[in-house]
Amino acid sequence: MIEIDHVSQIFRTSGRQAHLALSDISLTIEDGAFVSILGPSGCGKSTLLYIVGGFVSPTEGVARVKGRAITGPGPDRGPVFQEFALFPWKTVLGNVMYGPRQQGVKAAEADAQSRRLIEMVGLKGFENFYPKELSGGMKQRVALARTLAYHPAVLLMDEPFGALDAHTRTRLQNDLLNIWERDRKTVLFVTHSVDEAVFLSDKVVVMTRAPGRIKQIVDIELPRPRRRAELLLDPRYQKYVVEIERMIDDTSEDGLRP
Amino acid sequence: MNARALTSEVLLGIIPIALAVALWQAISSFGYAPVTLLPPPGLVFSRLAQQLGTSNFQHEIASTLFRLFAGFSIAVILGVGIGLAAATNPVVNAVVRPIVRVLAPLPKVALYPALLLLLGFGHESKITLVAADALFPILLSTYYGASMVEQKLIWSAMAAGTPRRQILFKVVLPAAVPSILTGCRIGLVISCIVVFLAEMISSTDGLGHMLVTAARTFQAVDMFVPLITISLLGLILNGLLQGLRSYLLRGFPEV
Repeated sequence: MIEIDHVSQIFRTSGRQAHLALSDISLTIEDGAFVSILGPSGCGKSTLLYIVGGFVSPTEGVARVKGRAITGPGPDRGPVFQEFALFPWKTVLGNVMYGPRQQGVKAAEADAQSRRLIEMVGLKGFENFYPKELSGGMKQRVALARTLAYHPAVLLMDEPFGALDAHTRTRLQNDLLNIWERDRKTVLFVTHSVDEAVFLSDKVVVMTRAPGRIKQIVDIELPRPRRRAELLLDPRYQKYVVEIERMIDDTSEDGLRP
Repeated sequence: MNARALTSEVLLGIIPIALAVALWQAISSFGYAPVTLLPPPGLVFSRLAQQLGTSNFQHEIASTLFRLFAGFSIAVILGVGIGLAAATNPVVNAVVRPIVRVLAPLPKVALYPALLLLLGFGHESKITLVAADALFPILLSTYYGASMVEQKLIWSAMAAGTPRRQILFKVVLPAAVPSILTGCRIGLVISCIVVFLAEMISSTDGLGHMLVTAARTFQAVDMFVPLITISLLGLILNGLLQGLRSYLLRGFPEV
């Protein structure tokens, strides 16, 4: 369980002006839940993810994992970034093996595990390629495999498909759901796409424009496993999308008000 | 780059060198300069070929190469070490930054008389001068390379379980390698120049010493031989470094 308890984040900008990025966020995420954080750009949703990751310390409040306050990054929480952040000096296999090797897994075993994961994300045959030789979608598959390789209990996904074209994005969403349905990790998924959030999640946290506050939490009660083609025709799915888009429109206007 | 493109690039690169040699030949053929002062290229190259076989000349090359390598290696070790330390530790950075600002623009050759008095006329003074001159480009490019490492690479490694103190060697150093090698390339060219210069100023052997000795006795041909030799050495060393670079950077996007 992840608990975010009255968390606020203030950034000091160059002109010694304080920018309130997150304002008094409280949120509880159950184990095994797929939760999306949705909001306009600049609402602090990535910052919230970095706080759970332990990469950024909150100015106020506390975030906890399994009841313990988060003080830094750890292999129980695995990030996947929009920029992939693969190690350019390592091959696909080298990138995926990095985590298990850091965890003290023997080379031969890490090698075998990593090859299985690479196959699972659909990249069999690319083990000895370097990241620069892969397309964006393939890079993100490697990044996902690299994170899954050290068995985090929580996946922290920071707009992971934001840099990909629509077709690749859809395929990766499907594959992510398939992988997730196998072991039901807790997923915290930051996105600005309403479709993506509704399609993937159990819960969508809608945030307001800066300073980021939680506007509303929507439970998505759609059956799993979800098939995209069926879902698009499902009136319940359409209703969720329209409902959430209206909320986002409202928050945009909030931001424009003087 | 494929082999064909590489070949045509090499051919294009040879053209200006060939033109320069042709101009040199023309100046001496048409008598613009007396052969005793500007010998034709053919004479210089055949003299070089003949000299390469003699143990004396080989000794001069060996001395120069030894000083060049020793100085350059010291510069790489110090430059990379100090650069990394300054990029990752604010205290080191606060100490190093002003020293670099004061020393980097200083013409290191100006220190050479002092080095001669302190270290003598042997290898040590020349090696120190080469190291002092090659150090700064390597240090600065290491510093900038290590400062610019993408934050999310570091986060990814930390989340995978890399302790903070290992991040320097597991992420920062490998990520800074492209920048470090750029600094090394500049440092290598500077090393070639400086070792020659130091040998010209005061030495008992080496290519620079050969040139000065030849010039003092008006042996024009022998003056050009060490010049051609040092530029050939530079070309070969740069080629070797380039090879190392393409091996180490095989995973990095083209730079």
